[in-house]
Amino acid sequence: METDIISNLALGFSTAVSPINLFYCFIGVLVGTLIGVLPGIGPVAAVAMLLPLTFNLDAVGAIIMLSGIYYGTQYGGSTTAILVNLPGESASVVTCMDGYAMARQGRAGPALAIAAIGSFFAGTVGTILVALVGPPLAEIALKFGAPEYFSLMVMALIAAAVLAHGGMLKTICMIVLGLLVGIVGTDVNSGMSRFTFGASGLADGLSFVVVAMGLFGFAEILSNLQDKADTASRDILNQKITGLMPTAKDMKDSFGAILRGTAIGAFFGTLPGGGPTISAFSAYAVEKKLAKNPENFGKGDIRGVAAPESANNSAVQCAFITTLTLGIPHGATMALLLGALTIQGIAPGPQVMTQRPDLFWGLIASMWIGNAMLVILNLPLVGLWIKLLKVPYRFLYPAIMVFMAIGVYSVNNLDLDIYMTILFGVLGYIFMKLKCEPAPLILAFVLGPLMEENLRRALLISRGDPTVFITRPISAAFLVATALLLAFMIVPSFRKKREEAVAESAVL
Amino acid sequence: MRINNKIAGVVAGSLLVAAGVIPASGFAQTSIAQTYPTKPVRLIVAFPAGGSTDIIARLVAQRLGEKLGQQVIVDNRGGAGGTIGTEIAAKATPDGHTLTMGTTSTHVIAPAAYAKVNYDPVKDFEPITLVASTPYLLVLHPGVKANNLKEFVALAKSQPGKLNYASAGTGSTTQLAMEMLNRAAGMDIVHIPYGGNGPAGAAALGGQVQALFGSMPAVLPHAQAGRLRPIAVGTSKRSPALPNVPTVAESGYPGFEVSLWLGFFAPKGTPKPVLTRLQTELTAIANSPEMGAQFEKNGASSLTNTPAEMMALMKSELDKYGKVIKAAGIVLK
Repeated sequence: METDIISNLALGFSTAVSPINLFYCFIGVLVGTLIGVLPGIGPVAAVAMLLPLTFNLDAVGAIIMLSGIYYGTQYGGSTTAILVNLPGESASVVTCMDGYAMARQGRAGPALAIAAIGSFFAGTVGTILVALVGPPLAEIALKFGAPEYFSLMVMALIAAAVLAHGGMLKTICMIVLGLLVGIVGTDVNSGMSRFTFGASGLADGLSFVVVAMGLFGFAEILSNLQDKADTASRDILNQKITGLMPTAKDMKDSFGAILRGTAIGAFFGTLPGGGPTISAFSAYAVEKKLAKNPENFGKGDIRGVAAPESANNSAVQCAFITTLTLGIPHGATMALLLGALTIQGIAPGPQVMTQRPDLFWGLIASMWIGNAMLVILNLPLVGLWIKLLKVPYRFLYPAIMVFMAIGVYSVNNLDLDIYMTILFGVLGYIFMKLKCEPAPLILAFVLGPLMEENLRRALLISRGDPTVFITRPISAAFLVATALLLAFMIVPSFRKKREEAVAESAVL
Repeated sequence: MRINNKIAGVVAGSLLVAAGVIPASGFAQTSIAQTYPTKPVRLIVAFPAGGSTDIIARLVAQRLGEKLGQQVIVDNRGGAGGTIGTEIAAKATPDGHTLTMGTTSTHVIAPAAYAKVNYDPVKDFEPITLVASTPYLLVLHPGVKANNLKEFVALAKSQPGKLNYASAGTGSTTQLAMEMLNRAAGMDIVHIPYGGNGPAGAAALGGQVQALFGSMPAVLPHAQAGRLRPIAVGTSKRSPALPNVPTVAESGYPGFEVSLWLGFFAPKGTPKPVLTRLQTELTAIANSPEMGAQFEKNGASSLTNTPAEMMALMKSELDKYGKVIKAAGIVLK
């Protein structure tokens, strides 16, 4: 068994390190990073745009290059999240919270560096996992039916409540609002449209890019521009930039966060319905719970960047497990990668591993090489990105807005999406004024429709019997964990009050 | 040779128009056919890049571009079950520079199932030719105790309302195929909609549902690997990929046929000579052995016909699926 894996990996590396494949991998990562830093253009748009480029390559080259583009865009998305509060894709919403706060304190360098380092570590672990236990893991993932997914998502959503550093009531309001926004579109079960107001552009629901670009990017620009006299504060340039690389203390702080983030990402990434977004949110929530000083989160804590970035990347890596071994795509980007394979005449599925071992293991090896290239490429680029921030804001913000509009439009080629982004921008500005965190809204927006779909599917299969959620063991375990999580959230506030009371009585 | 013809045509055309023998539009059409295409041709695909329709479209688009001497650019306008892109195509300038890859989904099922679609598949389009078709394959989770359709029907009837089947979504061909079989065999297998072929396949693989009438390219790899048990194909002939699997029709339900066809359409009013030119080129491309081999790799096979046959097929399917949709109570709004 072990010798198998070694010989398989040897085959993989010998495929991946051929000069031409290394070249494709490099081009993919480079192009991906460059496109990923354009606001609004996430992995789905980038892979869709560049897919035709690979039609004339051989299968191994094509899939290696596309995977490179995928990693590259994902990392590029984190770069803009940290620098200008623009999440490139759903998983980087979490990175925005502490990453952008760090950038405002002049610590964009360490934030970008730790994101690259954490991602590389997680990518390495993910690659090893895929090689060692990929196929058996995929079998376990198939055990997840509708009840399991529903309970898992309830847990994730409850965990989201600890994300916000505002009040509990505001967080719950934002979650509910996110669930409502997520309802827009065609109902999977009945095929009825909900809240589309007759606009066919809303039939498939609001796209993540529209909501995120509006609430984060557009709202940020509005709030930066609101006060004419206060020109100084919006130029991050005026903040003293304290070092490009993380300090020894930063590394020490992030170490545990990277390890835990990687593990969480690997777990969620393997599930076909899980994915990078839940991983990133969960990793962040776990770090905040474990931290001795949770009040620092959201104000530029490096762990708040390290954990979600690692989780995100290890999830992406593990997403290849089900995509390759079962031919089941993991969201839109993976579906595109499978499409690319099909164009090459390879039917994705269990037989890829046996029929095309060069492709399978070559891709696994190139995942690792791609991650290594990302670090090599991006650590020197950190300095360059920081310089970008020195561009005066009056030049920077129109450019960001133009790219945002292009990015939003490119997702569906719909002008309606641009207007919706503006709408969410105004909404985001109002939230900012009301001190309501948009992150829980986004998580609910992403998870809500999935939760509803799985709840209704579970009840459809059980013919309306709700006990299915507690009689299926995996589902029951998630619900128990959710109950514990809720208890932990409530108990500390009790304890604090009691301590206060004790302290007061001591004074008396 | 070509140039001489063109000059002769222009001279003759001018003379005839001047003499009032034929109307000016006839002249314009002749000249369009001779110069077409004057710029890159846009091929609207009403589904996202990388999907099965997109793949077939791109394979054909490349060859068509070579034959026309102008690039054929695939423009993916996905969303709302393919109705958004198809509506754009219906409203495009009818000069042959905008075409669309229509399918059973866009030109039969969506108009029949949606309460409101902003195009008429019969009145707003000029059918050109079909290029390919994809079969549907009925597969069972290996844990289901049935080795053929007869045993499966018996099993379903012995426990009515207990078995489930997955589909790629409400109103998808995967649902309609199974609903037709439910009706034909008098079964009551419950519909569980999933969001696409991938998740539906996963549900069948994991045993969350017992059956799936899946699109061939999506389920064939699992059938070949022994992870799903193929029991019948929905086409009128057996599939070369699975010669031992009988058709539904030969398993006791004669006349049963469900497959997905893919073909080219132009907006209504596209000049006749342009349509004829496209039909000639597309038929040759679809019937070439290389294209046939490419289609086969993607679970499809070449299928061509004439505009009149295509129109007749569309009308008969609108009727056939319309009845199933009505009986199953599917309304998409």
